[in-house]
Amino acid sequence: MRRRLSGPGARATLLIVWLLALAALGWVVSQRLKVSTDLRSFMPAPTTPDQRLLMEQVGDGPGSRLLLLAISSAGAAKPGGQSDVQLAALSQGLARALRNDQRRYSQVLNGSFDLAALDPSLLPYRYLLSPTLDTQPLDEAYLSDQLQQRLDDLSSPAASLLKGLLPRDPTLEMLKLAQRWTPAKSPELREGVWFTPQHEALLLVQTTAAGFDPDAQQLAIDGIQHAFDALPGSASAKLEFSGPGYFSVVVGAQTRHQADWIGRISSVGFIVLMLLAYRSISSLLLSALPIASAALAGIAVLTVAFPEVHGITLAFGFTLLGVAQEYPIRVLSHRRAGEDAVQSVRALWPLLLTAIASACIAYLAFYASGVNGLKQLAVFTIVGLLAAGFSTRYLLSHLLPVRVRDVAQMRWLANARTFVDRLPRPRWIPIVVALAIVLMLAVAPGPFWQNNLAALTPLPQDMLLRDAHLREALGAPDVRYLLVLQAPTEQGVLALSQQLQPKVDALVAQHAVDALELPSLYLPSIAWQRARQQKLPDRTTLQRELSQALQGLPFRPDLFQPFLDDVETARSLTPLTPLTPERYAQTPLGQRLAAMLVQRDGHWLGLGTVSGVHDVAALQTLGKDSGGSVRLLDLKAASESLVAAYRTRILQALLIASVLLVLTITFALRSLRRAWHVLAPMTLATFLVLAVERLAGIEISLFHLVALILAGGLGLHYALFFERDTGDPAEQRRTLHATIVCVLSALLVFGMLGWATIPVLRAIGLTVSLGVAFHFCLSILMAPHAAPESPEDSHARED
Amino acid sequence: MLLLGMTLPLWANASASEAAPAAATSSSASSLIAALGQPAPARTAFAEARFMRMLDRPLVVSGELAWLGGDQLQRRVDHPNQETATIADGEVTQQRAGKSPRRFSLTRAPQLQVLLDSFVALLSGDAGRLQQAFEIRYTGVASGRWTLSLTPRDATVAKSIASITIDGDGKQSRCMRMQEADGDLAIDLLGPLAAKMPAQPTRDALQALCQSAD
Repeated sequence: MRRRLSGPGARATLLIVWLLALAALGWVVSQRLKVSTDLRSFMPAPTTPDQRLLMEQVGDGPGSRLLLLAISSAGAAKPGGQSDVQLAALSQGLARALRNDQRRYSQVLNGSFDLAALDPSLLPYRYLLSPTLDTQPLDEAYLSDQLQQRLDDLSSPAASLLKGLLPRDPTLEMLKLAQRWTPAKSPELREGVWFTPQHEALLLVQTTAAGFDPDAQQLAIDGIQHAFDALPGSASAKLEFSGPGYFSVVVGAQTRHQADWIGRISSVGFIVLMLLAYRSISSLLLSALPIASAALAGIAVLTVAFPEVHGITLAFGFTLLGVAQEYPIRVLSHRRAGEDAVQSVRALWPLLLTAIASACIAYLAFYASGVNGLKQLAVFTIVGLLAAGFSTRYLLSHLLPVRVRDVAQMRWLANARTFVDRLPRPRWIPIVVALAIVLMLAVAPGPFWQNNLAALTPLPQDMLLRDAHLREALGAPDVRYLLVLQAPTEQGVLALSQQLQPKVDALVAQHAVDALELPSLYLPSIAWQRARQQKLPDRTTLQRELSQALQGLPFRPDLFQPFLDDVETARSLTPLTPLTPERYAQTPLGQRLAAMLVQRDGHWLGLGTVSGVHDVAALQTLGKDSGGSVRLLDLKAASESLVAAYRTRILQALLIASVLLVLTITFALRSLRRAWHVLAPMTLATFLVLAVERLAGIEISLFHLVALILAGGLGLHYALFFERDTGDPAEQRRTLHATIVCVLSALLVFGMLGWATIPVLRAIGLTVSLGVAFHFCLSILMAPHAAPESPEDSHARED
Repeated sequence: MLLLGMTLPLWANASASEAAPAAATSSSASSLIAALGQPAPARTAFAEARFMRMLDRPLVVSGELAWLGGDQLQRRVDHPNQETATIADGEVTQQRAGKSPRRFSLTRAPQLQVLLDSFVALLSGDAGRLQQAFEIRYTGVASGRWTLSLTPRDATVAKSIASITIDGDGKQSRCMRMQEADGDLAIDLLGPLAAKMPAQPTRDALQALCQSAD
């Protein structure tokens, strides 16, 4: 054991070395630290194929990368007329600007989808994509009937819509395709772009960044706003956002904002508390060093062990490091007058070491959870706790001033200790508390666990309403169900999709579902395209049939040359495949298809989007007899099962951690009876928090579990120190002082969090505050009675 | 075409008791339009010939036009094939014998929307609303015959419709000619004149018919 460093010079050197070491660590961290913000690394690892699909859909899927934009007139705009024209111009201008930025935006839709605007070289493909040829050859009878109908069209109000198409497409295949591809419900078109009935121009923007990456989403949103502001006339209009990406930005900003102001208030409170408790600024400043060491060491190890550190790891990690604050507090409270700090620490060290080891074991449970973010959290907190503990023991103790006030001499503390000692400690307390817990859990309302991921990412109600409103206007599909088709190749998926189409049509006709879009709607398999191609007549034959069909009709004889050319071209086209890159992939169609076909682990999945489900059971029959190659995926059920599986793993890890904890404590105290006095109050208090929260109708989420573990760590300290029977009343008073300071500081920090409106912060704040209170009370009430005071000591107090 | 065809005959139904306007001023055009306001519903016969670049000979159809009040218009074709087109609630519905109805939103064809708005204004005698959409030129001669020439102010509408010309006599409109920007022309004979559609109409013959003094 080292001796206390002698002389102010040596102490100053130690302090400087320590500060320099911290500065060096800080520099390393600032050079290496790469913070990621993708929320998915904090989500459970998916295990089933459905869960993996879900994670892709939530985080990276086309749906989650969609931003919904609405442009409306600022101020009191009168609907209709001029303002619609201006809004449409803004919509077109914004779409143009964003389409030029393919680095950030992979797709921009505003309704101005015009078949005529397609690459003209793609138009002959209509004969391969449209189902007409399946039932109808391009012969004289069909052409004659079609041409007669076109004449009727030309004398009808639709004439102006069709006139331009006619020479190239007398059978209107393009319109048939457009009709097939029009969503069951699409927004109104005004001035050529989408509008809501409330006169807002609508745009859909797909970002290249994942929806759950708030920083990248922020960049995308800033880019849109910037492009919008640069448009002429944008000053008198308002651009509004919605969609998962926007929400993640808003939630992130709100959480940060609340955490910031709560953190500021509680920091001030904490400093005041420490000054009141120890009346020494140098003690206060010095005791901050172990915490700083803990944080820096934790981050430094993270930067070595992981390529990226998650922002939430850091936020939660600093919260959990709150336990480490106890180490310097314990040392400060246990100082005796005249005794140097090294000696005080030495006496405390076995107990502190037990506390550090137990906390580390509890946090190991996070490591076992298998979630990347939680693993980081475990590494950070364990390294941090060890750094805080050991630096308190071997560094801080040498720096603390020699002359201190012994808190044991404070009159109020003596009174408080007497009060605590006089409290009755009946043996039946654990039984009564346990019974109360069981009773409360039994009568608690509602489901026990919160399985809804969304409940933890709360959004203001008006934002959700706005999103629903825009989604409805856009006819965006139901986000809950997906029909999943699986096959070894993408052609297999398309063939499966084609087989399914008649059954799907029947379901739509029975009103089991409003609409179900299959991938083959956008692209038939190569085999089907070839089959249609074979049915196209050669130029001479078609020319002959057409001439006969034209007999007696007023069409100019050479009018349909473009039609003959297109059919000729179509005969020799290479069928389109989902893998055809370049031109097709760039079209709105190709992008739509890309969202519906994904390759995974050597096989392909087709995703059918479902709108307006009325009869889930009927939809599920689609998967019958398919041997698993067709199934209805309930994203809500998948996400709930994911959360449940996640929780099961954490609970299992906690169970193992508890066993280890019992062994550690028993070994450290070398007595089962003493271990009982430490572990029983801690366990009961933990379950009491759970029971009280359940009784209040709170559904338990993962964040509650994390908070319970933190509170458990704190409670363990209280119980350990109260259990320590030194037989020295002065030391017992110091223990009470230390514990009170610890409890108050924890209540201050977490009680403030309990006021937050963000459910995650509130869950943590409320749970830890309740936990600290229960742990404190129970560890006092269940601690063994202190030995009677020695006479000298009572004299000392009377001085 | 549809909308113009529907609205103008209603003028023809109006009584022609007043003296014909004589001065070629826009104020007299306004007073004419104001005097033409109609109570709904109102019906009239029509015969239409369309001269199109893609056709060797004109398309001729005939039937009945009706204003059902508000923004609801109906165009019934009896010859050569039966078809009824209705505009109501922002939607155009085409119904042919033996076929399921075809619908498209009026918003898919913005120029139709503008025409509808304007001509409902015309039917209600709202010259101001009509003048917002069109530049109106009015020519009258002493015998009581007149010609209204409408040029769309909206650039988008003007891209498809170059001008609309209406010939009338007293308070009766006889003819409407819609000149499309691509050179196609539609001529509607209205009211009693509808029965006089020649079997093989030509532009000149119809023009002469519209301006003849019978």
